[in-house]
Amino acid sequence: MKSNIAVMADEDTVTGFMLGGIKKGYPVKNMEKAGEILEDLVKKDFSVIITTKKIGDKFRETINKLTSERTLPMIIEIPDKTGSIERDSDPMRELIRRVIGVEMVK
Amino acid sequence: MAQEMIEGINPTRMELLKLKDREKLAVKGHSLLKEKRNALIMEFFNILERVKGSREDVEKTLTEAYKDLTAAQIVMGDLAVKKAAMSVKEFVDVDIDSRSVMGVVVPVLDSDIHKRTMVERGYGFLDTSVKLDEAAHKFEESIKLIIELGEIEKTIILLAGEIESTKRRVNALEHIIIPKLENTVKYIEMRLEEMERENFVRLKMIKKTMEME
Repeated sequence: MKSNIAVMADEDTVTGFMLGGIKKGYPVKNMEKAGEILEDLVKKDFSVIITTKKIGDKFRETINKLTSERTLPMIIEIPDKTGSIERDSDPMRELIRRVIGVEMVK
Repeated sequence: MAQEMIEGINPTRMELLKLKDREKLAVKGHSLLKEKRNALIMEFFNILERVKGSREDVEKTLTEAYKDLTAAQIVMGDLAVKKAAMSVKEFVDVDIDSRSVMGVVVPVLDSDIHKRTMVERGYGFLDTSVKLDEAAHKFEESIKLIIELGEIEKTIILLAGEIESTKRRVNALEHIIIPKLENTVKYIEMRLEEMERENFVRLKMIKKTMEME
């Protein structure tokens, strides 16, 4: 199956990924609107959506709702240019801990 | 808890047979689900091996990419970088397939992003800086890593969901449904035996009274 990749992030990140060869960039100017854009992108059948951790943290529930049941789309969170945010609980780690029952070193 | 039974059951032979069938089915289902759970967990551990370090890799390449991008923006100006980015040709080509792990459909991505030469990227050289080339190159690299990471993380999420629900079903069968069925079977057997004994005594009594007459 042919896939579509979209980037939804702040302007500089979008520019960077455009340089890398992803043409479907959706710059987010207003953080409040990001959730709507995200839902829109999912409706448009993008199979891979790259977004920033900041947006991810803000719309955690929306993302979980959109991705937990289905195979596609996959939403990947990356750090933006201000660098990685230190989080006390990485959602991925949390999930692994819940399933296996013990803390695993990443 | 230990003595819990299914409500509203008549202690008859018919009911007993039915219950025994149900118990057999439950035990069979339980062992099958247990096998499924074990297989899923094994697959989960395999994936966990792959996820190790891949998030760090992505973050490292991205930090470098951002650094180069910022440098390019300083040298050329925001607008010029944007202009160059707009003229880059669409290049990412990813095939998405799926494979099934014990009934869970997980994506398999086949990314075909080979290194592009500078000419293939599609922006002009006249007004662009070397930093821009480096940034573009780094972003290409990180896109590849990001897609791999996405595949792994998605697989983990899907597998985790399935493992959780399978676990719940195994536990429900093991701790609630099977004991309940066992208790009910035992109860009916006891009632039937009791009834037989009662009948036996009754017959003896009748015989005795008939002999006395």
